[in-house]
Amino acid sequence: MVITVAHRPKPKEFKDDFWKSKNINISIGDIVETEQREEAPESMGPTPKPNVTDLRSWDMKLLKRYEPFYAPFCDMCCLCTYGKCDLTGGKKGACGIDIEAQQARTVLLACCIGAAAHSAHARHLLEYLIEKKGADFPLDLGMDIDIEAPIIRTVIGKVPKALGDLREAMDYMEEQNLHLLSSCHTGQEGSSVDFESKAFQAGLMDNLGMEIGDIAQIVALNLPKGDPDAPLVELGMGSIDRDKPVVLCIGHNVSPGAGIIDYLEDQDLEDDVEVCGICCAALDITRYNKNAKVVGPISKQLKFVRSGVADVIVVDEQCVRTDILEEAKKNKAAVIATTDKICLGFPDMTEEDSDKIVKQLVNDEVEGVLILDPDKVGEIATRVAMQIAKDREALKLLPDLDEIQEMAKECTECGWCQRVCPNSQPMMDAVIGAAEGDFSEFQRLYENDVCYTCGRCEQECERDLPLMSMLTKVGEHYVKDERYNIRAGRGPVQDVEIRRVGAPLVLGEIPGVVAFVGCTNYPEGGEDVAKMAEEFLERNYIVIASGCGAMTIGEYRDEEGRTLYERYSGDFDAKGLVNVGSCVSNSHIAGACIKIANIFAKKPLEGNFEEIADYILNRVGACGVAWGAYSQKAAAIATGVNRWGIPVVLGPHGSKYRRLFLGRTDKQETWDLNDLRTGKVIEGEPAPEHLLYAAENREEATVIIAKLCLRPSDTSKGRQIKLNHYIDLHKKYFGTLPEDVYKFVRVEKDIPITHKKEVMDMLEEKGWEPRALPQEPSTMNFREKAEGK
Amino acid sequence: MNERVIPWQPTVIAGPKQALLVTPETAQMMLQKAKRPLMIIGPLINSSPVQALATKIAERWNIPIVSTGDAFKSLNEAGISSQSYGVVEIINLLKDPDWKGVNNEGQHDLVVFIGVIYYMGSQGLSTLKHFAPHLKTLTLCKFFHSNADASFPNMKDEEWIKYLEKLAE
Repeated sequence: MVITVAHRPKPKEFKDDFWKSKNINISIGDIVETEQREEAPESMGPTPKPNVTDLRSWDMKLLKRYEPFYAPFCDMCCLCTYGKCDLTGGKKGACGIDIEAQQARTVLLACCIGAAAHSAHARHLLEYLIEKKGADFPLDLGMDIDIEAPIIRTVIGKVPKALGDLREAMDYMEEQNLHLLSSCHTGQEGSSVDFESKAFQAGLMDNLGMEIGDIAQIVALNLPKGDPDAPLVELGMGSIDRDKPVVLCIGHNVSPGAGIIDYLEDQDLEDDVEVCGICCAALDITRYNKNAKVVGPISKQLKFVRSGVADVIVVDEQCVRTDILEEAKKNKAAVIATTDKICLGFPDMTEEDSDKIVKQLVNDEVEGVLILDPDKVGEIATRVAMQIAKDREALKLLPDLDEIQEMAKECTECGWCQRVCPNSQPMMDAVIGAAEGDFSEFQRLYENDVCYTCGRCEQECERDLPLMSMLTKVGEHYVKDERYNIRAGRGPVQDVEIRRVGAPLVLGEIPGVVAFVGCTNYPEGGEDVAKMAEEFLERNYIVIASGCGAMTIGEYRDEEGRTLYERYSGDFDAKGLVNVGSCVSNSHIAGACIKIANIFAKKPLEGNFEEIADYILNRVGACGVAWGAYSQKAAAIATGVNRWGIPVVLGPHGSKYRRLFLGRTDKQETWDLNDLRTGKVIEGEPAPEHLLYAAENREEATVIIAKLCLRPSDTSKGRQIKLNHYIDLHKKYFGTLPEDVYKFVRVEKDIPITHKKEVMDMLEEKGWEPRALPQEPSTMNFREKAEGK
Repeated sequence: MNERVIPWQPTVIAGPKQALLVTPETAQMMLQKAKRPLMIIGPLINSSPVQALATKIAERWNIPIVSTGDAFKSLNEAGISSQSYGVVEIINLLKDPDWKGVNNEGQHDLVVFIGVIYYMGSQGLSTLKHFAPHLKTLTLCKFFHSNADASFPNMKDEEWIKYLEKLAE
């Protein structure tokens, strides 16, 4: 034990140019007792542990180029009792807020909620794992990963070495989120752009929280450590052996699932009980044990619960249907709640005798139980499943289709099931068909989750038809082959992989990194994301997947019956399909971009957020895609990666997030670049053109993704490759050469050879002139502008 | 309440300001009055008879067409000229009073929508409702759009086609 003076961020009053230019830091630290394990950085950047306003200047640069675009979801503010206040027609609320600020405030609120969800999950995991393994348990991600926590290093300014070191980052994140949430209160912030700056901070905190959570679980539970050859695991509703007792885990926290798997191993019951999951809990239990199974993404939740296959449903946190108890009761499944986030009104039986809990659940003496000890959950869930499975066998059987036909005849054809459907899917037509014995429309809705079973239609039905059950049972009857595979989440990208792809990515020769993240409530069904992934894999992009998106990709087969995981390697390289893991593993996507700046370009990370983000924005051709409709977590993730300089394409439901960040190609001055090599300001280009964009359909999204991978740092060879894909895809989905392609041709050498003539014709028509290629493009430090040149 | 004027997806109701329900005759008056109208055609009506009707309306009233999603392709294949934008891109430009419009002749004063995904169109109309007081919006879909300034009611196909045909006359 030694006594050290802990590093603290520089005091704010010393942040003027003099102190910066002399590189003098004056700080008075806390005297603390600590193990000497945290690595002191060689050099500290200007913003370790940035406070809410410390990265504001970077945010304003982004917001000037990518102005917020607001699409109010609600015209009013209902947050306080001054209101409701009508904000239409330029009217302000009683507190003085206008519609723009109110939208930005709502986005900030969503980002705070998202950041809190990931980070509370991370905090729970961290403390649980410290209790199990000790605060000194090393953060060892193996021989191939030295830069193991790129977000923490950059934001906190320290290199964590053990589980206990993560607490500092966690404390910081929690404090920041508190301040950010506070600014949503009535009578605080009044500027929409400052709300957006705060939303960026909330997004960054979200990214930080995710990294803490995933690193903690990877090291402490020995999940794959950046292994591109992580095993293929079983996926799909048809992969679950319904003849065995089935325990279903829903949510995002691996702890209860791990507890179940540990219990089965201890009791030598692995072959006797089926353990499976929905949502990220599924991904993480398969990272923990490859014999666990993934039922599927969130869009399978109601279908699978209604199928009656699960004997015991274990819920932890996030993305769990809040009516899960009501649904479970319909087919007598037992429910165990396992975290403080979801208690469902159950009695807390954490300290109760196990035999008593099992007896009460088996005999229906309680509706469900709350057990906050993951190990105990393991025992109770297993024992209950084994005891009730036999009595529930009849509930797992497929119904007679005649029964569904009879029910369908009750339909009054009012049409409201279609009007309340988020995607206006033709549920009524399916029911009318079923009444005539034609189940084809039900089958179409079932396949590829065209209907993602939100259940809104069912509650609207004036005849109370159990539409979701009818859909599920028809689907099960006709769709026999719901067995797929998915590569288990590998966690972070290895340093050696970054070294291999750093140059070709920054120079543009690998045309881009496309990351499919978020939930799978897709407007036209699950194939959208898989088809986009396939398109970019075939074109040599690096494709990353996480969460429910990673599962959807696994549910898509080619003509030979192979999934994309079987066709493409798990390498972080051209044509690699990298499943990083669950929601919290999204941190490794930003992490990989950060590591490119650090490992390839030698940019120091610690306290150096702005320089790293500037590098990523201008030189790393990465683009995120969040195609489904969903949550505040997705808002936080996207806003966080936007601040790192990574553009994101949303599906059409993304327009309901209320805010996008759109560039304007007709405002040339917003695209100026600073060439750090020469110090000159040069004419830039709209690359990337937007920071947060919502596409109307897959075709549009595919083309815009290719365009958003363009970066000012592309060499002519790289630009040729990227433009070739952009033009190719535009021709495929729009039938013509893109009308804006001339904006991305800097010199003649940028033009793809295969499209040379038509592009040259366009250049001539537009009066195009060649322009300089930046050597080190940056949106920071416009020295010439500052000097008034 | 009259089901024809409950928004097609009822939950898009945003507040007290609701669209005016219009007949083809009122829509005609709006088109007559407009100096620089613009028609936005979305991908929901790709390669359909409705798309052909929409382009006839554009031709009848001399309205330039912006295509969104991938609607450009099917319009182009039908020999109809349009300018392709993402729906959020064109809305973003329309809300700027200083934008010069698709023909560089000045910002548009009437924007006519058809074929954009309902909920996304609703969001775009909301943007224009709040941030583009310099223009009016009219929707020709068979769904009532409460965020527009003026909208056709919820209709079945047969009635809708009649409405569109009247506008194309």
